Amino acid sequence: MKRRKTILTLLAVCLLIAGFVAGPRALADDDERGEGRERGERNERSGYKYTVPQLPAYSQECGSCHFLYLPGFLPARSWEALINGSDKHFGEDLALDAAAKTELLAFLTANAAEKSGFKWSAKILKRLGNETPTRITELAYIKKEHRKIKEPVFKRPSIKSRSNCGACHPHGSQGDFEEGAVVIPAK
Amino acid sequence: MIKYGAVMVLAVAAVFFAAGVLYAGVQPNKEMQALMDSYLAAAMKADPGFKGFSAEEGKAFFNAKRMHSANKEERGCTTCHTTNPANKGKTTVGKVIEPMAPSINKERFTDPAKVEKWFKRNCSWVLERECTPKEKGNYITYMLSI
Ligand code: HEC
Ligand code: HEC
Ligand code: HEC
Repeated sequence: MKRRKTILTLLAVCLLIAGFVAGPRALADDDERGEGRERGERNERSGYKYTVPQLPAYSQECGSCHFLYLPGFLPARSWEALINGSDKHFGEDLALDAAAKTELLAFLTANAAEKSGFKWSAKILKRLGNETPTRITELAYIKKEHRKIKEPVFKRPSIKSRSNCGACHPHGSQGDFEEGAVVIPAK
Repeated sequence: MIKYGAVMVLAVAAVFFAAGVLYAGVQPNKEMQALMDSYLAAAMKADPGFKGFSAEEGKAFFNAKRMHSANKEERGCTTCHTTNPANKGKTTVGKVIEPMAPSINKERFTDPAKVEKWFKRNCSWVLERECTPKEKGNYITYMLSI
């Protein structure tokens, strides 16, 4: 009899612990999707150093959906077009209020291709006519640099889009787009 | 006597187990509660028979798919957030999205302005319209229940 009571009590204690441990984690099957991309051996920075211009509102408003594009990749007039057209941003309504627009535009134009000391800005401007591109991926210089990459490569699950610069330029957010620091994920 | 004692211990354990499972839910902060209250008031105004938000309906809404009229592709909340809100998701441009479930990601559903902004963006991307207060309330109730 005593033995049975002990067993029952033990069972009860187990249930109690299980309730508290399992409850909150019931659905927490957290896999690291998208983090474990295969980079192979080359994942080092090149020697190129650049101080990336920072603005908290820029990473908050413009960094949730995609790579945070460096302002030096586009001329000022392109950033103006992007911010003024932000209610129709590639199929998204960014819902920016007037204050956010002013703050973002001041930051982007002050660091745009004409003004930045970013290595690739001059190369981009040199090949740019008087058009106002809203895509970096459609700049003549950028197209030329990526011409050897076949379309299906951009569709790989860990890349998904041409616009996902960070997938192949792991140090791109620090301004390092050098050939030596490029790695194309295998999947 | 011994049997009675054992039953009592089991009963108490069962209550704690139930409490442990309920504890899985996350309580909204004051600002978020106010937002939920405003959704509730609006939902009741639209439908006087409305009883209150349902995690079940929120789950169904989250998993629903819809054909986009212009892009001719099926879209849903799960396109970016995956079918399990406890998992990380990914945008169409390849950026990782931290989990939606506030039991996993403490920052979720703490800032009404942020929540409203993303509802506006994502509902129009998926449904080509704004979400109704009822849909928003059900959705948040589901997320808090995970
Ligand atoms: C709600 C999601 C979202 C937010 C927030 C967002 N974007 Fe975008 N952006 C997109 C999508 C979608 C594309 C198209 C990407 C594609 O074609 O794969 C895009 C593309 C771009 C491109 C062109 C990329 C290319 O292909 O060269 C630029 C530049 C850009 N966004 C700037 C911004 C700026 C500046 C902000 C902040 C004001 C911003 N984005 C905020 C969704 C977003
Ligand atoms: C699928 C992978 C991939 C994606 C995505 C990608 N790149 Fe590249 N990029 C490369 C490769 C590979 C090279 C090197 C080409 C060569 O010179 O052989 C390159 C080269 C470059 C260069 C020239 C570097 C030099 O040699 O001076 C720049 C600048 C650049 N990329 C910017 C970008 C930007 C900006 C984006 C996003 C809008 C982007 N890339 C997206 C793979 C990628
Ligand atoms: C195209 C991709 C995409 C789709 C589809 C999508 N979302 Fe999102 N959602 C995002 C991104 C990106 C964020 C911001 C993530 C961040 O801040 O970390 C977000 C954030 C949110 C937030 C803010 C939560 C918080 O407090 O941080 C809510 C609410 C939300 N989404 C609801 C929805 C609903 C409802 C649907 C379906 C109708 C949906 N989403 C579909 C990309 C998407």
